[in-house]
Amino acid sequence: SSGAGALAQWVLVELQGEVEPRQSGSLAGSLLGDLHYTCEGIPVLIVGHHILYGKVVQLEKPFAVLVKQAGAPQSSPGEPHGHYTVTALIKTKLLFKTRPKPIITHVPKKV
Amino acid sequence: SLVIRGEKDERAVLCSKDKTYDMKIADTSNMLLFIPGCKTPEQLNADPASCNVIHSQIAGFSKNYWELRRCRPKLKKLRKLLMEDPYEGPSIQKDQTLTFSKYTTEDLLSLIQASEEEILHQLQVIDACKIEGRYWRILEFNYEMKLLDHVTQLIDSESWSLNKVPLRTCLEELGSLEPREMIEHILLSYGRKYVDDGEVYFEMREDKICRAVAQMLLQNAVKFNLSEFQEVWQQSVPEGMTTRLDQLKGLALVDKSSRPETIFLLKVEDLPEDNQERFNSLFRIREKWTEVDITPYIQDLCAEKQTVGALLTKYARSSMLNGVKVYNSRRPIS
Repeated sequence: SSGAGALAQWVLVELQGEVEPRQSGSLAGSLLGDLHYTCEGIPVLIVGHHILYGKVVQLEKPFAVLVKQAGAPQSSPGEPHGHYTVTALIKTKLLFKTRPKPIITHVPKKV
Repeated sequence: SLVIRGEKDERAVLCSKDKTYDMKIADTSNMLLFIPGCKTPEQLNADPASCNVIHSQIAGFSKNYWELRRCRPKLKKLRKLLMEDPYEGPSIQKDQTLTFSKYTTEDLLSLIQASEEEILHQLQVIDACKIEGRYWRILEFNYEMKLLDHVTQLIDSESWSLNKVPLRTCLEELGSLEPREMIEHILLSYGRKYVDDGEVYFEMREDKICRAVAQMLLQNAVKFNLSEFQEVWQQSVPEGMTTRLDQLKGLALVDKSSRPETIFLLKVEDLPEDNQERFNSLFRIREKWTEVDITPYIQDLCAEKQTVGALLTKYARSSMLNGVKVYNSRRPIS
């Protein structure tokens, strides 16, 4: 339920396998791809020259995203030795588990 | 808020105010990307105006996550800690220079893998009390029996009904023998408190008193002749109380196969907390168990909504012995 100061809701995208940067570089800052939804609400992901079809799944067990707080290293006995803050909740995921299909532009037939 | 508890040699648990959960790391071969502000089809449909490209950032990704499963609170350690230094009464002057472990509620919260409510409830179940205000203590058994004996003797000499034992008179009559807090504590442990016409009374708990007397008798020998024990036991409990073997569930075990039948002390709280280890130790004590005999020794292992039958199916194998269903170990026990 939402209210003032409610937790942010994020979405999970689940992909099979690994995602690698195109050139040898880092993932940070790079573009992954484009996400579309069809009229029926089916998610479509275009990564590079591949297209993936997925489905929207409501998570039976939602996730909480925890961020570790940089805290004082020394703490008195009885005090917690670390703090995590719940940053966001994830209740929905976009699951892509079909094989990516390469997108081939139309090749005109030879006459 | 939630707390993760555990010492370095323990498996981490997560505790809410009143529940405990086992924590496990789950690995997936898939990549999980988290995207703040990513919209679902429903959210986009609801906003027909947006035909624009929304630039979203992937906040991060992971290939594993923590999974929680509700579990039994791990409370065996609580009794173990408090038994390090049981309270033997004010007359025993312990050498003050020796530092005995003493535990406050905060200490227990950081040492016991259970939620606060589960810990406080267990302290009540084991009749722990706060002595000197801050520290939780368990009474040493013989001292506890001495206190109980004072009370039952007073009940007898005053000819009170076992259901109406007045607190005030107990404190007056026994206050010179023992600390008042201890008299009240023993009444609270072995009786049910109620108020009648402004006065506090206790309804003495017959089963618990009979059980304590049995423990006192049984702890002095490896085993007893059953019929002799039953006779002595009945004679030892307060006038008006009736002993029954079913009062001793989880405390003592009858060996019906010996001639004559015998009984020996076996306390469930002395057995391992882990399911498999508990069953192993039970099968070491006795090869084959009936469901009636084993139930008091595995009842506390049941998870939420789990039955004793389910536990037996998982950890034991059944067979018939003289027309009776018995359970034995699934594998050889060393």
